[in-house]
Amino acid sequence: MSLFEVGRLCLKIAGRDAGRKCVIVENVGEGYVVVDGSTRRKKVNIKHLEPLSEMVELKDKAGHEDVKKAFEKLGLKVWDKKSKKVSERPKKVKKVKPKKEVKAKPKKEAAKEEVNKETSLKKEKAEKKPEAKTETKAEKEVEAPMEA
Amino acid sequence: MPRGMFKSGRLRKIFVRTPGGKNVVHYRQRKPSKAICGNCKKQLAGVPRELPAKMANMPKTAKRPERKYGGVLCSACTRNLLQEKARGEAQ
Repeated sequence: MSLFEVGRLCLKIAGRDAGRKCVIVENVGEGYVVVDGSTRRKKVNIKHLEPLSEMVELKDKAGHEDVKKAFEKLGLKVWDKKSKKVSERPKKVKKVKPKKEVKAKPKKEAAKEEVNKETSLKKEKAEKKPEAKTETKAEKEVEAPMEA
Repeated sequence: MPRGMFKSGRLRKIFVRTPGGKNVVHYRQRKPSKAICGNCKKQLAGVPRELPAKMANMPKTAKRPERKYGGVLCSACTRNLLQEKARGEAQ
């Protein structure tokens, strides 16, 4: 009988799980063995295992829960699979501020219109606008020579 | 003549051919030495040889093998060490 029988406690020597204890769960043959415990449940080459003196009572092809119970008796932690949770995509939330501005503007416009109605006819509006444009142009002309 | 600080050999030289056809010397920081095993002094695999500033920006998993003693001992020495420990406990 080889040392690598079902229920043998082993130390993983190579790879990512090196330095962790595990139990042989199944003998696959050709120097390979299935292992579970504080390592990942994995098919493993015997060369990557160091057999320990302890044995654990386990059935052949025992499941992860059985191994967990056996390991808790020994006081060892078991490596549990952490299945990833799919996080939801963050939804784009439209900013509330612009809406407030949109609401505020019409009030002002409405107020202006009311004032205009009170004071004069719509024709005066048309007159005021070109005046404003001419003023701005005049300002620009004044500024330009200053820069030059 | 190069400046005094460039004569000490602290920085490595790089010869750059400029668009004007001149050969100019540029100076760059030397890379750190390769990572070696703490036990057998062999070069470690999986440890990049980059400037400290670059290493600081790298993720931890890119800087050393994800194994016990990863980035300190080579795989063979880790195996021997773990084996010796396991056999020592048994006795």
